[in-house]
Amino acid sequence: MVPLSWYLALSAVLFTIGAAGVIIKRNAIAMFMCIELMLNATNITFVAFSSFFRDVTGQLFVFIVMTVAAAEAAVGLGIIIAIFRNRLSLDVDDASVLKY
Amino acid sequence: MNIYFGLQTATQQFADVNLWLLMPELIVASAGVLVMLVDAFTKRLDQRWLTGGISLIGLVAAAVSCVWLWTSWTGPTEAFFGMIVLDRLRLSFTLVFLVVSALSVLLSMIWVEWERLPAGEFHALLLFATAGMMLMASGGDLVMIFLGLELLSISTYVMAGFRRTDVRSNEASMKYFILGSFSSAFLLYGTALVYGATAMANGTPGTTNIREIAQRLDTALYPPLLFAGAAMLLIGFGFKVATAPFHVWTPDVYEGAPTPVTAFMAAGPKAAGFASFMRVFLFGFPFVVAAGTAQRLHSAWIAVLVVLAVITMTVGNTAAILQSNVKRMLAYSSIAHAGYVLVGLVAAGAASDLGQRNEAIAAVVFYLLVYSIMTLGAFAVVTILARSGDRRTEIEDYNGIGFDSPWLAFAFSVSLLSLLGVPLTAGFMGKVMVFSAALDQGYVGLVVVAVLNTVVSAYYYLRLIVVMFFRERSGAWNAPLVPASMAIALALTVVGIFYLGIFPGRVIEVFQASPSVISRLLGT
Amino acid sequence: MFDLKAYLPILLMFIVAAGFAVSQVLISQLIGPKRRTPTKLMPYECGKDPVGSARERFSVKFYLVAMIFVLFDIELIFLVPWAVVFKRLAGPEFGLGTLMYVEMMLFIALLFVGFVYIWKKGILDWSQAARQEAEAEAEMLAGQSGERLRRAA
Repeated sequence: MVPLSWYLALSAVLFTIGAAGVIIKRNAIAMFMCIELMLNATNITFVAFSSFFRDVTGQLFVFIVMTVAAAEAAVGLGIIIAIFRNRLSLDVDDASVLKY
Repeated sequence: MNIYFGLQTATQQFADVNLWLLMPELIVASAGVLVMLVDAFTKRLDQRWLTGGISLIGLVAAAVSCVWLWTSWTGPTEAFFGMIVLDRLRLSFTLVFLVVSALSVLLSMIWVEWERLPAGEFHALLLFATAGMMLMASGGDLVMIFLGLELLSISTYVMAGFRRTDVRSNEASMKYFILGSFSSAFLLYGTALVYGATAMANGTPGTTNIREIAQRLDTALYPPLLFAGAAMLLIGFGFKVATAPFHVWTPDVYEGAPTPVTAFMAAGPKAAGFASFMRVFLFGFPFVVAAGTAQRLHSAWIAVLVVLAVITMTVGNTAAILQSNVKRMLAYSSIAHAGYVLVGLVAAGAASDLGQRNEAIAAVVFYLLVYSIMTLGAFAVVTILARSGDRRTEIEDYNGIGFDSPWLAFAFSVSLLSLLGVPLTAGFMGKVMVFSAALDQGYVGLVVVAVLNTVVSAYYYLRLIVVMFFRERSGAWNAPLVPASMAIALALTVVGIFYLGIFPGRVIEVFQASPSVISRLLGT
Repeated sequence: MFDLKAYLPILLMFIVAAGFAVSQVLISQLIGPKRRTPTKLMPYECGKDPVGSARERFSVKFYLVAMIFVLFDIELIFLVPWAVVFKRLAGPEFGLGTLMYVEMMLFIALLFVGFVYIWKKGILDWSQAARQEAEAEAEMLAGQSGERLRRAA
């Protein structure tokens, strides 16, 4: 059996890649994908603990996270479409009307 | 399957779940669904009063059920097997959220018409956001808190971008969305780590129930994971309530979002964030005497929060001085106020005595109530003066309006003076309560920093008042019309500021008191 | 040896599913009205041109449908675990049948409210313009065939 720590390391690495991506990437869609990566890395942690201790709470949490991620995706892509329609760019550096 | 239906009667089955405890949330959510249906089935023209009215009725009904739970509920204090808890923290915060939402409905009723926006959608989103906030305060389990947070966040992302054709609104919405989901991911990862870390050596799986987390801290199988999880949770909540290193989204989002939405965001979600923050950290990682993991964890998060409070207050106030846009200035002011609330949170966390802790919690709730009212009042005036499309939000736009629109200028000045914390206003009482709670715990240095910050903040609050009354106006001024619903909202905030500033005793007593005392106060 | 008898329900499931799909197609072929307009005879009835550059931008309507699909699709993950544990929790050990049933019905009712909402908001209406175009085309064709009939007569 694969030890628990491997799963945790995997999820920590994925989470870090996602977090770094949000900070480094400049395209709104790419940033959004990195956020999804972070959420799914968290899901790995939940499932790993859940299966290691034979407990259902973690899996329940994953269900809820998946639903929330879908709702977030719908709203987030809607926002991205709205911004694209108004300015024809998805680069977050172009979104600078609000800087002083 | 039907044969088993008789084993337990339906009432018995529902009694286990205890739906009564969920009454306020259920009422608000049902009102939201109703508004949605009304929105779908009526024409847009006559919708505004209908949906606004339903929203207000729903919010008032929820408040009534909340008071009923507070005064006459004698049953169990947990519902859905520990997912929902009933305690003072929840009920007092719920009342704060309901006040915020009711004022926001009043503020937005005319505004949606000015901007030609769909009223039904806006009110439905507002109600769903309120239900989310209430779940954040009532959740006894990290799952519930996460769900409530997401319900709130997703609704507010949409509300921030509600003026679809405006580039500023789009941009605010996108920034809020990306940084909001980023922080949710941190919160979630923290939850996952705490869930795993609270497993026990005998094979008992971890837990996400806050009460059980508190019991298992010392027997945690993986203490380092526990610390990492708590840190992640702190980052997540720090983003949500806009404390200093995590505040970068606040000014842009507050400036770009439509002003009534900014008013709501500055008041409601911030208070909700603090409700969960307190729930998780005060009840999940509480003060303990015995040395061990729990004790180390407690002293660690208190130390971090002290630093955060100092940075937040200082950054918020110094940055606010430099702003030329009123909405941006108020955004930095809201960051500074998050810092003051953190002072109270530190006091509540550090209190070893249960009575002192409850007093500190009551102080924080009182501060957030006061802060919500005065922020909503300030943003109400900004909404009226900005006109449609948020065109006039620079400080120069406020030049010399004081004597031309005396009532608006008066209401704005009252809100600003209260935000500053001038005696006789609610802001003063809030600050006194929070700072004295911190002094009781011996945080003299922290309170000194907070008071110095208050002095600094006088510069930018008073500058606006000076600009309004003593600066010459360059162009012609035509006073804006103040619609009835907005006038009511403004009058309520001004009355609230003076009432809470001059006679705060009753409200504070309610927030501190146990349920029986409240029934006596209300004469039931 | 495998005991294939245990897999009989799955076989039945396949048969029912396949039968349902085939019967739906057949029934609509047999009793559905047929108007063979050029638009309708295109490979993609939704109006996408099958030949041409693949890099053109397509209508935001596709995106809306996809978004709604994602939202309603994900609800399934709550229905399936519910169905799996229902028998056990409704059984004598727990006796929560009514509660579980009512709760899931509430959940479905809420989904239905969402469905009614998007329906009334006209999201499922592909587009006002496209519908009018199609109706005009159908009318024109009906007129032509009517003329042809008259000429024949």
